[in-house]
Amino acid sequence: MEAILQARGLKKRFGDLEAVRGVDLTIAPGETYGLLGPNGAGKTTSISMIGGLLERDGGEVVVNGAQMTTTSLAPKADIGLVPQDIAIYPDLTARENLRFFGRLYGVRGLELDRRSDEVLEVIGLTDRADDRASDFSGGMKRRLNIGIGLFHKPMLLILDEPTVGVDPQSRNAILESVEHLSDEGMAVLYTTHYMEEAERLCDRVGIIDQGEVKAEGTRRELVQLVGQLDRIRVSIAGSADGAIAGIRSLGGVSDVVSADGTIEILATNASEVLAPTLAAITTAGAAVHSVTIDEPDLEAVFLHLTGKALRD
Amino acid sequence: MGPAITIAIKDLALRMRDRSVFIVGLIAPLALAFIFNLVFGGAFGADELSLDVGVVVEDEGAAGEGLLGALRDMDSSGTLALTEFTSLSEAEEQVEEGTVGAVIHVPAGFSDAVAVNADTAVEVIGNVDAPTTTDIAAAIAREFAAGVRRTNLAVTTALSTGAVPPGDVAATIGDAASAAPLLGVGDIETESRQLNTATYFVAGLSIFFLFFIAGLGVTSMLEERREGTLFRLMAAPIRRRSIVLGKSLTSVVIGLVSMIVLVIASGIIMGAEWGPPLGVAMMVTSAVLAVVGVMTLVGGFAKTPEQAGNLQSIVAVTFGMLGGTFVPVAEGEGLMSSLRFVTPNGWFMRGLGDIASGDAMAALPSMGILLAMAAVTGGLGLALVRKVVHA
Ligand SMILES: Nc1ncnc2c1ncn2[C@@H]1O[C@H](COP(=O)(O)OP(=O)(O)OP(=O)(O)O)[C@@H](O)[C@H]1O
Ligand SMILES: [Mg+2]
Repeated sequence: MEAILQARGLKKRFGDLEAVRGVDLTIAPGETYGLLGPNGAGKTTSISMIGGLLERDGGEVVVNGAQMTTTSLAPKADIGLVPQDIAIYPDLTARENLRFFGRLYGVRGLELDRRSDEVLEVIGLTDRADDRASDFSGGMKRRLNIGIGLFHKPMLLILDEPTVGVDPQSRNAILESVEHLSDEGMAVLYTTHYMEEAERLCDRVGIIDQGEVKAEGTRRELVQLVGQLDRIRVSIAGSADGAIAGIRSLGGVSDVVSADGTIEILATNASEVLAPTLAAITTAGAAVHSVTIDEPDLEAVFLHLTGKALRD
Repeated sequence: MGPAITIAIKDLALRMRDRSVFIVGLIAPLALAFIFNLVFGGAFGADELSLDVGVVVEDEGAAGEGLLGALRDMDSSGTLALTEFTSLSEAEEQVEEGTVGAVIHVPAGFSDAVAVNADTAVEVIGNVDAPTTTDIAAAIAREFAAGVRRTNLAVTTALSTGAVPPGDVAATIGDAASAAPLLGVGDIETESRQLNTATYFVAGLSIFFLFFIAGLGVTSMLEERREGTLFRLMAAPIRRRSIVLGKSLTSVVIGLVSMIVLVIASGIIMGAEWGPPLGVAMMVTSAVLAVVGVMTLVGGFAKTPEQAGNLQSIVAVTFGMLGGTFVPVAEGEGLMSSLRFVTPNGWFMRGLGDIASGDAMAALPSMGILLAMAAVTGGLGLALVRKVVHA
């Protein structure tokens, strides 16, 4: 099947900073693709080039067979872009916001009315349809922000960290509507730095860091990159910085990272390294609170690929 | 054109909700014009400018005779209404009461003093409520003194009410021999004076406030950039020029509506007489386009909406002052009166004056200049503003 999105070798620099250095992305119709990466990884910059908002320094973007540039119209009509920062008119009502952008995407007449009702339903704002957006809670604004992007039934919906700063209930509502849209056949490009969201929603995930996609595949494929490694998480009180080098040098340990009172270790066999690890931590003067041993997940993959934790 | 209109309609809806546009575009100019009219209106009379000038000639020489003769000529030609007084105190009383707006006083022995190069002065006493009449009387006296042409001759103006300290209005003048005929005084009546007081103030203030609302388009574009909605517009399948066009359209529509409402309302409420509707409509349209152009250019230099607002205010006030929005600018020579014509305000007032006086054809140059201003500033402005939508 022909890809809905094909981005090849995307490059962007801001002054001395190479924000995006050769990103390739291919998304099939109906597929949900997650771009997982920490702050500053280049997610928004990549998406802005894909959406034709930002001039690129290199590479090409093909949307549904048509070349995307900042001035092209047809490929833009096939995309619904939901920006990371809420972009709505606070002095317009929810319905007016939807209708205005709907018009810009060429939706007209009765379809405009019908589609407004549908989208309001999807984003759960039917009751508040005729209230001004300035009166909405943060979560409601986020949902309206998303509603605008999907109004014209794009072939590809791009969501840039749509759940940032949202309460758990609204977050769940957002994830559910993305699942729903995906079931209806909309392709989705979803950026996040929440591993759980990528695992739950996405058919395929690309791990992006420092402007490069480090690895890409289904969850299973990615986890296989880490191999049969176990993941040990030790939560501690006090500083164990002195112990890190020692742990790293233990036989069978492949990665160690320490952040916010947690030490994460990837090792071939947890039972072999656990005792010397805990000993090293106590020797360094820190107290051990708890220890968990997991199967590797995307966070472990990220750690393995980049040598750092995904969280900010 | 479709997306531009959609954007303009959205912006207009937003501006209606944000009531400031009513205040800036309608209420403020009307209220101020109404107040100005109450305060200064008396000097002009209700409808037409009538210049009630008094004269006291105590000089028995040729100079006094010359001035009196010239004033009598102006009286009979209808340029002004002359009252001759025999004593200065009587004249001052009449100025105080407002029967005459100003009195020109030629002191006893003036001609002789001039002949021997001694200090002497023609004096103008004016009523504070009649600044225009006083200005004109002073101009006549100055003109007269210039004719007399003595180095040490000065014209002083004193305001009878005493609120304003008397001061020299005319400087020393070149030297020569005798009283020459008064030249050019008849030209004092110029274009702006052909509008009645109410109309003058409403027109001046409405174009002044027009500057503020005509800047809304560019400013709102910078606001949208900050709020992130501009990126949504840029992500939509519309041409970037539609965004800029939509914003300019908003400014033009708000400007036109505000001006049209002001023209009609000032006619009903204050008896302003703008002249034939078609001519006025064309004049107003040209002015709106010119001001939108100027404000687009000014806003094009700004990075943030606040910066745009500040720059635009500075230009609005400067042009307002130069263009004679607040006070009728003295006619004739002088830097101020020429600077008037670098502003849309000046040409707007001049064109309206021509139209009100029934000479619509005479307004065509003003209209043409306004449209040229619109084209030049608007063109440059759009070139600058387009950068905002180029990421
Ligand atoms: N307009 C810009 N000018 C200069 N630098 C920029 C600009 N936009 C982004 N950057 C830089 O480019 C890098 C990538 O930024 P980007 O916004 O793409 O990251 P991100 O993955 O979206 O991060 P986040 O999760 O915080 O949204 C960052 O270092 C950022 O500071
Ligand atoms: Mg981002």
